[in-house]
Amino acid sequence: MATPAARLPVRAALDRREAGVALRRVLGHDYRLGFLFVAPIILLVLALVAYPFGYAIYLSLTRKYVGVPPVWVGFDNYVKLTWDGFFQRAVVNSFIFTFGSVSVKLLLGMAMALVLTSQIRFRSFWTGVLLIPWVAPTVVSALNFLWIYDYSLGVLNYLLVRVFGLLPQGVGWLSEPGTAMASVIAVNIWRGFPFFGISFLAAMKAIPAELYEAAAVDGAGPVQRFWRVTLPGVKNITIIVVLLSTIWTFNDFQIVYILTKGGPGGATQVLPVLTYEIAFGAQRLGEAIAVALYMLPPLAVVIIVLARYMRRGQKA
Amino acid sequence: MNHGLGARLGHAASYGFLLVLLVVVLFPFYWMTVTALKSEEQMRSLASMFWPDPVVLDNFRHLLAQTDFVAWFKNSVLVAVASTFLATAIGTIGAYSLARLRFLGRAFMSSAVLITYLVPPSILFIPLYAQIRNLGLADSLAGLIAAYPSFTVPFVTWLLMGYFESIPEELEEAAMIDGATRFGAFARVVLPLAAPGVLAAGLYAFTQAWNEFLYALVFITNVKLRTLPVGLSSFITGDVYGWGFLMAGAVLTTLPVIAAYIYLQKYMVEGLTAGSVKG
Repeated sequence: MATPAARLPVRAALDRREAGVALRRVLGHDYRLGFLFVAPIILLVLALVAYPFGYAIYLSLTRKYVGVPPVWVGFDNYVKLTWDGFFQRAVVNSFIFTFGSVSVKLLLGMAMALVLTSQIRFRSFWTGVLLIPWVAPTVVSALNFLWIYDYSLGVLNYLLVRVFGLLPQGVGWLSEPGTAMASVIAVNIWRGFPFFGISFLAAMKAIPAELYEAAAVDGAGPVQRFWRVTLPGVKNITIIVVLLSTIWTFNDFQIVYILTKGGPGGATQVLPVLTYEIAFGAQRLGEAIAVALYMLPPLAVVIIVLARYMRRGQKA
Repeated sequence: MNHGLGARLGHAASYGFLLVLLVVVLFPFYWMTVTALKSEEQMRSLASMFWPDPVVLDNFRHLLAQTDFVAWFKNSVLVAVASTFLATAIGTIGAYSLARLRFLGRAFMSSAVLITYLVPPSILFIPLYAQIRNLGLADSLAGLIAAYPSFTVPFVTWLLMGYFESIPEELEEAAMIDGATRFGAFARVVLPLAAPGVLAAGLYAFTQAWNEFLYALVFITNVKLRTLPVGLSSFITGDVYGWGFLMAGAVLTTLPVIAAYIYLQKYMVEGLTAGSVKG
């Protein structure tokens, strides 16, 4: 027979369990381990992304020089930038750089995936080698190309002039306004197309063989099978990869910075490099951040659309 | 007959295309290596352009003895290894939590992680620099180790969320019916199964940290504290002589990443396509 004194702890434990059940109902079944495990990420996102991001928006609305407190100026930085010739040129260049790179990467990547899904020997060897530019340090690759493009001793001019005789004399690939943009775009394509290829390859492998067989039975030729079976099968991944690459390319700093620093005469000046130069060359931080954030509205739209597609892809 | 010929032609075209891609992809690395092994006189004279004659190690000797390359290499190793461990640990438990556990705000956090992964560094580098300076970590390797998780953790988490979701939930449930706690089921059942994914995620985190340029360029002013990418790019002089040891440095900077990649290629290719962009 239980004495009241002995019953009390049991009652307390029961109460606690009931409270626990209620808590679980509100916070979710696994809330304790769940919160514990995401806590580091929450801290990290708040400290290293959310706070700096908010601070960036604030700074872009101020006049801020290094070492001097910011002065509130409202939208002045943005208004000034809108009419600034250098900025306008960088916006146009950023779009040319991004569109030129992404479109060729898309085509090359698609071709690479199509060839690798056909009856080919040593597929994993080809796949492995073709992915190397994607894993290699980008700065190293940019430096390699800086050396390859070199006017007097570069191997590209050597090949075109001395070996193949295609040109009467060398070209200053990175120092002439006419070729500089195409040259930096080429390096971005070289580095980025394997990611497209490998992503398309994975998506194509996931298309059931029966679909192709059924299409063949219905009399569809290779071209029709590509349009009717392959393309619909890789549609989602194409949207994801194109949007992802658009964000990365639009914000690519290192390739342009290493190869041309935006030159010659601003011919390859893109927004990230302009941001860096205004911030650490001219030391005008508020204006620099306004340059970085000017394209935020379209970027935010791209990010939100992309996040939707990626979440859906992961759940499928 | 005609059909066979067409197929064979298509086949030849496929191999031809792959071969062209192969040359384009590998040539810069070949050229970097050849340059690193050439003597200064050979480079100046444009003689035997595509093969070092004689093969000399002067560039490597100069690089290791006369420059800060060794210090930069150590800095890069320290920063990449430390931030990789940090990112993989935080990302693994976080991804498990977001993929499997049921709690309030899980969907919101999953979206937040993904959006964080998509926000480009070129928007964040100035305020992040201010933040690192506020923490007293400006111009230190600790500052980089603290900052790199801002891009490695979201990536690792995102990649592993997909991985954890592909592991059947029944396995954990069975372990828990046998008396394991939720944590026990995670540590003893799920984690071993996810090991290839964790390895791939860790490798990518390492590669990203090893290759990072913008933050290292902005946060570090002390020459001795530079990481390899920033150090190497400071060698650009426009002089012939500089190119020799710059390319020697490029070879030594590329080697660890490519070696790891060749050795663990299977995991990296699968990891990339399994988690980040499963369609």
